Amino acid sequence: MIQEKYFEDINVGDTVIELVKGPLQKLQLVMYAGASGDFNPLHTDDDFAKAVGMKDGVIAHGMFIMGCVGQAVTDWVPKKRLKRYGVRFAGMSKPGSTITISGTVTDKRVSDGENIVTCAVVAKDEQGDVKVSGSFDAALPGKA
Amino acid sequence: MADLSKVGTEYTPIVWEVERGKIREFAKAIGDFNPIYLDREAAVKAGYKDTPAPPTFLTVPMMWCGKMPDFINDLKINFMMVLHGEEEYEYYREIYPGDVITGTPKVTKMEEKTSKSGSKMDMITLEVLYINQKGEEVAKARSLLVERK
Repeated sequence: MIQEKYFEDINVGDTVIELVKGPLQKLQLVMYAGASGDFNPLHTDDDFAKAVGMKDGVIAHGMFIMGCVGQAVTDWVPKKRLKRYGVRFAGMSKPGSTITISGTVTDKRVSDGENIVTCAVVAKDEQGDVKVSGSFDAALPGKA
Repeated sequence: MADLSKVGTEYTPIVWEVERGKIREFAKAIGDFNPIYLDREAAVKAGYKDTPAPPTFLTVPMMWCGKMPDFINDLKINFMMVLHGEEEYEYYREIYPGDVITGTPKVTKMEEKTSKSGSKMDMITLEVLYINQKGEEVAKARSLLVERK
């Protein structure tokens, strides 16, 4: 079970997330297409992807990578504590890539009686190219 | 080129019945084997009513409803030139199996921007506020679409 995190224990600058996903497989993209309902052939059909300019074929759904980062987020903080999660899609991810997800606490504050922690998150491939970057807010219990 | 006069447009709601199997399928497709998404008993032990929807689950009703092409057509966006720039969720309540959620898509912002290299693009923000069968707000999804021109 994901351990509860307490507001008092979290400090700005803390590394909170580390997750390595991959290497990405084409089969995962087919599974994600079916699960999510995003059947854009850019993600599942190499011939189509090449015809629209992707020389190596299919690329991952951006939302799949956002989902992987979401996995890392709720591996760290219980799902019920998550208040907001957003990303910017910065680059395309290809099958065979290994994606490293990391996160750092950037702010903590009491707002409307809630203990809010904000963390920056980023997913990069083995070349260090950013695939998605973003942040999330979690409302954490206090120890008192 | 996007029709910037469409800002404020509200579309007919997306209605979606949440199934436990779909939550499990979605988590497994991501490779997320957190037991709260896969197993009701584990979820209850961790303090949930049932297996909660994972953080990005709201893409499922949006994509499966099949309305995105209609929105894109109505907004006069060139499908071949559009990119998904950003996605953000605000969470108000858990979404559980058996919930029937209704999301009302609304175009909240449309603006033309010029990139550093001088090329122009239209930025379109689509927000969907989801309520459950009890009328409680459960989440808001915000998508930024970027149309290169």
